[in-house]
Amino acid sequence: MTGTMTGTGTLIRLILRRDRVLLPVWIVITALLPASIASATTDLYADQAARDSFAAASASNPAQLAMRGPIYDASVGGLTAWTLGSSLALFGGLISILLMIRHTRVEEETGRRELLASGVIGRHAPLAAALAVVLAANLLHGLLSMPALVAGGLPAGSSLLFGLSTAAGGWAFAAVAAITGQLTASSGTARGIAIAIGGLLFALRSLADTGGIGWLAWLTPFGWVRLTKPYAGDQWWVLGLIAVFVTALAAAAFALSTRRDVAGGLIPARPGPAEGTLPGAFGLAARLHRGTLAGFAIGFGALGALLGVAARGLNTQLDTPQFRELAATLGGAEAGLSDVFFTFVMYVLSQLVAGAALVSALRARAEEAAGRAELLLSTPVGRLRWALSHLVFAVMSPVLLLTVLGAVAGLTFDGDVARVTGATLAYLPAVWTVAGIATLMFGLLPRLAAAVSWTALGLFLVVDLLAEFKLATGIILDLSPFMHVPAMLLGGASSPAAPLLGLTVVAITLTAAGLAFLRRRDLMPSA
Amino acid sequence: MNAAVHVGGLVKSFGRARALDGLDLTVKTGEVHGFLGPNGAGKTTTIRILLGQMRADGGQVALLGGDPWRDATELHRRLAYVPGDVTLWPSLTGGEVIDLLGRARGGLDPRQRAELLERFELDPRKKCRTYSKGNRQKVALVAAFASDVELLILDEPTSGLDPLMEAVFNECVLREKRDGRTVLLSSHILSEVETLCDRVSIVRAGRTVESGTLADLRHLTRTSVTAELIGPAPGLATLPGVHNLTVDGARLRCQVDGDALTAVLAELARAGVRTLTTQPPTLEELFLRHYEGAAR
Repeated sequence: MTGTMTGTGTLIRLILRRDRVLLPVWIVITALLPASIASATTDLYADQAARDSFAAASASNPAQLAMRGPIYDASVGGLTAWTLGSSLALFGGLISILLMIRHTRVEEETGRRELLASGVIGRHAPLAAALAVVLAANLLHGLLSMPALVAGGLPAGSSLLFGLSTAAGGWAFAAVAAITGQLTASSGTARGIAIAIGGLLFALRSLADTGGIGWLAWLTPFGWVRLTKPYAGDQWWVLGLIAVFVTALAAAAFALSTRRDVAGGLIPARPGPAEGTLPGAFGLAARLHRGTLAGFAIGFGALGALLGVAARGLNTQLDTPQFRELAATLGGAEAGLSDVFFTFVMYVLSQLVAGAALVSALRARAEEAAGRAELLLSTPVGRLRWALSHLVFAVMSPVLLLTVLGAVAGLTFDGDVARVTGATLAYLPAVWTVAGIATLMFGLLPRLAAAVSWTALGLFLVVDLLAEFKLATGIILDLSPFMHVPAMLLGGASSPAAPLLGLTVVAITLTAAGLAFLRRRDLMPSA
Repeated sequence: MNAAVHVGGLVKSFGRARALDGLDLTVKTGEVHGFLGPNGAGKTTTIRILLGQMRADGGQVALLGGDPWRDATELHRRLAYVPGDVTLWPSLTGGEVIDLLGRARGGLDPRQRAELLERFELDPRKKCRTYSKGNRQKVALVAAFASDVELLILDEPTSGLDPLMEAVFNECVLREKRDGRTVLLSSHILSEVETLCDRVSIVRAGRTVESGTLADLRHLTRTSVTAELIGPAPGLATLPGVHNLTVDGARLRCQVDGDALTAVLAELARAGVRTLTTQPPTLEELFLRHYEGAAR
């Protein structure tokens, strides 16, 4: 048994060195969030009556149920756990997937693992090192969140359980990614499969909580992290369920890794055509984008269907005084309840669409960084033509995705496809603006393009959260393009032209500036 | 205009680092030109400027009679390029990439494509993600050799090929030359340049330190002489042009400047020669001589 784990310590140090910025930032932010949400909750809902009425409103709001699940207890702790439980599991799960693939499959795909494997590194060491770091980082932010919660007056035991349950989401998906990293030779596919599994498991939890099929929640890690019920009975033993899940998947991943070659996958690569018919830069771009785009379209179609079905009969089901009040503040007295619901959910989904648009908008930079653009641009394909071949997809993919989302939601809801699609398409200029930021950075500071664009989208999401908890006003909220989108279903349709036109002009300006900078600068492969 | 590439006093900086510091390079139409230098000498940067992917900070650049930055698209119709580190689209097959590049360059000869695939022993149905470095290089080479272009720019094209494939590569370059095409071949593999190139430019630290035919450059260097003598040759030590002379009994070694060889051989003959070995300078020695300065 000498050896399959040899070198794990060295590899752990390598991972810590490579992620010396990312890991601390993620851990600290995640550790601080619970206490800050707890204090915001205390400020916003000063007494038990206020918290009860908020909880009642949320419990009858399917959008909230779908995103966050039921509220188990309307205490400050209970509301904090409800607000963050699902989001932190999603966030931690996503980061854990990205980190796991980055330190396992990407290392193999780029050939770096081969270099290491020729040294004194055991067969299982790379996987063990990646798992150790990601599991420990999740545990750390879970533990670190506890002191501040306790200092804020929350019970210590429940706070520890809450911290550990926020870590559990990351654990579960680190284990999932450990397996998908063994399946295919492509890191993109491994990442995609893991994220798709995550999406499916989240949808399962949503369905359990909106459809009243509670037992379904027991089948998904997103259910478990809530079912630990911190501040609401503290079901510690649910953590054991998660531990069993993680151990089983990790063991399976190690078993799989002994059954394949370095850089190989369990799913063998199939031979393809010996001759190509790609008609040039645009044909190539279409080929590169089509898989991702089709995946996104199916995903948003499914979300639309879920949304439409959930909104059916909402007008009667949701007819509680609390929700009426919420609807009135958002959309005026005569706003339909389902319209308020749609508007609320669309706001969140539009930012997911923006994420999809970013993937397309940053594709050209990815091509450049990998050195593939260099080869293509040595042919008569001009630089602008090449950039436009990818930009077309950044511009058209949100059109497609918002249309699919609106059309399917409209169809499954009340059949009024035009009205709902109009509401979803209203987000187009805001999404284009996010893509425009990516194109500007691609032209101006290509090496930072991905980091800056994703951070910008992240900040817009934070602005949302701040707005929801009324922690920011005025100019800060104005920074997010999504804040300027008229709510088409709630009377915003009366004068939508000015904000939409304004955002479109901003998006076009950003994009044009990015292309102008691109024409002037040197090509910068990352090597 | 009979120069396919004309570069004079080329300057390019990245931040504070000066990658090119007055580099000169002239490639005559129809010749195979070796572009030699160690890693980091500025070869790839020069090529990227020639391809219009980077803009020079100073100096003149002319490629096929045009400005590589301004006329990039037009000029690229007339050239094919193989990067030193070939990265390809992981989800496309080698065949698809060859046809994509060929089509973009205005079409390729299907007969040549098939022949090259066979000679390079490349399976075009495999996804690029599964290719080794050498196989990715073959994809780019097949696409370049099968294109009908005037100029081939090859940046260390054999770094991933095994010796057998290197021989195939050499034949391909010589055929391109017979067909009247111009080849700019960047390399730090000296034997390859010796076999293929008509003229050579040697660069170091962003500057051209030597340029000319191999014969020109040999003229500048020393021949190694090893001899076993019958009698003593006392005059040798004082002859001009003799370097690093060591005598071990009857055995003698030294390095001799080209123009001093006649005098040295006369001196040896006077002493009487039992065995004699002379070695022409290899490019390794040329290199060592030029990079001595950098190492110091």
